[in-house]
Amino acid sequence: MLVKVASALNLGLHTVAMEVEVNVAQRGLPAFEIVGLPTKAVAESKERVRTAIINSDIKFPERRIVVNLAPADVPKQGSFYDLPIAVGILATVIGCKLPERSLFFGELSLDGTLRHTKGALLLALFAKERGVNNIFVPHSSANEASIIKGVNVYPVESLTQLVLFFCKQIDFKPVTHKENDSKEEVSEAEFDMSDVLGQEQTKRTMEIAAGGGHNLFMIGSPGSGKTMLARAFPGILPSLSEKESLEVTKIYSASGRIPPQGSVIKTRPFCTPHHTTSNAGLIGGGSRLKPGEISLAHRGVLFLDEFNEFSRLALESLRQPLEDGCITLCRSRDKATFPSRFTLIASANPCPCGYLLHPKKTCICTQREIERYRKKISGPILDRIDLCVEVPVVDIKELSCDDKAPDFLESSKVIRERIIMARKIQQKRFSSETIYTNAEMGNKQIKKYCYLSREVSQILIKAGANFNLSARSYYKMIRVARTISDLEGVKEISASHMAEALQYRSCEKNENVHF
Amino acid sequence: MKTVKISSSRYPSLLKQISDPPQQLYYKGKWDSKLFKNCLAVVGARQMTGYGRRATNELVAKIASMGVTIVSGFMYGVDAQAHRAALSVGGKTIAVMPCGIDVIHPSHQKKLYEEIIAANGLIISELETNHPPALWIFPKRNRIVAGLSKAVLVVEAGFDSGSLITADLAKKFNRKLLAVPGPITSSLSQGTLQLIKNGADLASDANDILVNYGLNYQEYSMNRFSAAGLNKLERGIIDKLTQEPKDIDTLSRLVNISISDLGATLSLMQLRGIVTKEKDKYHFIQEKVC
Repeated sequence: MLVKVASALNLGLHTVAMEVEVNVAQRGLPAFEIVGLPTKAVAESKERVRTAIINSDIKFPERRIVVNLAPADVPKQGSFYDLPIAVGILATVIGCKLPERSLFFGELSLDGTLRHTKGALLLALFAKERGVNNIFVPHSSANEASIIKGVNVYPVESLTQLVLFFCKQIDFKPVTHKENDSKEEVSEAEFDMSDVLGQEQTKRTMEIAAGGGHNLFMIGSPGSGKTMLARAFPGILPSLSEKESLEVTKIYSASGRIPPQGSVIKTRPFCTPHHTTSNAGLIGGGSRLKPGEISLAHRGVLFLDEFNEFSRLALESLRQPLEDGCITLCRSRDKATFPSRFTLIASANPCPCGYLLHPKKTCICTQREIERYRKKISGPILDRIDLCVEVPVVDIKELSCDDKAPDFLESSKVIRERIIMARKIQQKRFSSETIYTNAEMGNKQIKKYCYLSREVSQILIKAGANFNLSARSYYKMIRVARTISDLEGVKEISASHMAEALQYRSCEKNENVHF
Repeated sequence: MKTVKISSSRYPSLLKQISDPPQQLYYKGKWDSKLFKNCLAVVGARQMTGYGRRATNELVAKIASMGVTIVSGFMYGVDAQAHRAALSVGGKTIAVMPCGIDVIHPSHQKKLYEEIIAANGLIISELETNHPPALWIFPKRNRIVAGLSKAVLVVEAGFDSGSLITADLAKKFNRKLLAVPGPITSSLSQGTLQLIKNGADLASDANDILVNYGLNYQEYSMNRFSAAGLNKLERGIIDKLTQEPKDIDTLSRLVNISISDLGATLSLMQLRGIVTKEKDKYHFIQEKVC
């Protein structure tokens, strides 16, 4: 007897339909075979299915069972075939009819219950697209799948429950989506901005970076507080919009990072890969294409500490994702596109020994060493970083004695409010465009949305001559000035906005090192 | 290949007087005997500080603009800065290489090398044209730097700096020795301060040096800053910066103004050439050089 069970297969963020054909033959020696290019995890599925069925007190048919995973030419990975295979066998054992237009998806435990399985959200999206009414997913993944409205999501706890439902012995209701506690909406940062003493300029640069989604490069000696500042950064980020949060949740679902009973992700991701991270780990890849850190940081922040220590290959592969906001990975068998619209925060020492800018310690690097160190970050990468700031070493004694200091310490909450306002202005500005933030503006959009008065362009021209600005950095300055004016809530870019933007140009040319 | 032999009439007469003058000088550029008439050697630390840079600019630009040829060793730091400061005012400069004249060492200063030749300066060496640089050559090179010059100016030097070798040679050759004083807290001032203690002339003004050449620099006395029309905030900033260079965060606390407004003001002051940023600190420019 042949039973066909519908399921689906996630390839990257893309889902394709799949059919599990289960044939329990009347003749032949008892056997259990899975065909259709199963990988190890899938092939082992037969032991899980057999044991789970037996442990659910259901008789396992002692016949020749052949399972075909169609289409047969796509390699099958993952453990979510357990449920469709088991359902197919159960259907022949019990002889009941399966509900129509349904997808089955999930991993079995040996006791017959179902385990949390990754990619449930993608399955629900696929079901909605294809007009499939019902999906059966593990209980703990059901909340994640039910984010998508218009699909009945059945939270399956065990095989027994499912059999009883097929035989119409029990009532089984689809789950309704339950939001997680909403206090998570504000990103929980390790530090508050007011915890950081001094560093006014760096904090201001971070505010601009968050305000307009600009990439930021911090240069400073060890101990100047770069890492602490970066860790305070999530606290000033606005929460994700509904559209953005679905984009992020999809990626997290595909890579199995949504916890059991998890719901949609509302806080902006903050990823901090170590500098020894492999290229595939950073940009995504592997033999089964997986999203890398840049995609996990989508709509959030990718913090690369010790930027110069990353491998040259890893740094250079950031170019295209930084420019396009997505990455397309191709292998001989697979191809996947992952979104990667993140804000890059990079930090580095000014020289190999680290003490070039230090007020007390002496730098022992030669000019050549410093140049070699800085050359590791190529022009094209620097071109894509709008803001650059030098983080000085702060004398704590001096700061804590200063009575005036507390006046300067704004909390993350206050800064965040200004950023939310600036982002709202940008949302309105770009409502007819495909971009969200000032940092994404191309030359065309700059011309359209950034009117420069005579006075302002005079400053820019003069700066171009005095500071050796390249044509590309002209546009950087304008983008940054646009964000500064948005933070102030002013429509037009004023001279002081442009003048302030010039402060953050220093990675342009290493003015410190050359003449 | 262009050379000048010791027997030639074109051979610099001052250099001939030292105890072991080079037998021949290889050179690049246009040999003009007038170049060697009034030479000043400027030497100093490779790890020059911001102070060293400004001091070199300030003194050398004035001296070079009076027609004195600046001789130095083409090393990065004070040496290169001296060459550059001379070129910036259209002055003449001679680079004495620690290697053959076709080898550019350090190689990242290729642009400077070309500029010196283009500005009718000279690249010279006693070594064959493609001789690689080596540690033992530096002291030998220094004897040519000192030998060519009437006076030697040491800008910044650490306690055991190579510049002190040049200073010793200057004394040995009976040249005038001058040193720029520096902060007593800076390790790169220990050598120069020691020189002054031991009797070198203190050079705090271009005329301290020019007097040895019978020249006098006429200060064009126009206070640019009263004419520049500074507002109250800008005057406040300059007031703080004249005491000591400061980073922007400290400055913002001192003048009590938000970092964004201060940043904008400083950018504009930088564009007008009133302040300059070196490393992470802002400096007030007394005299704009380039």
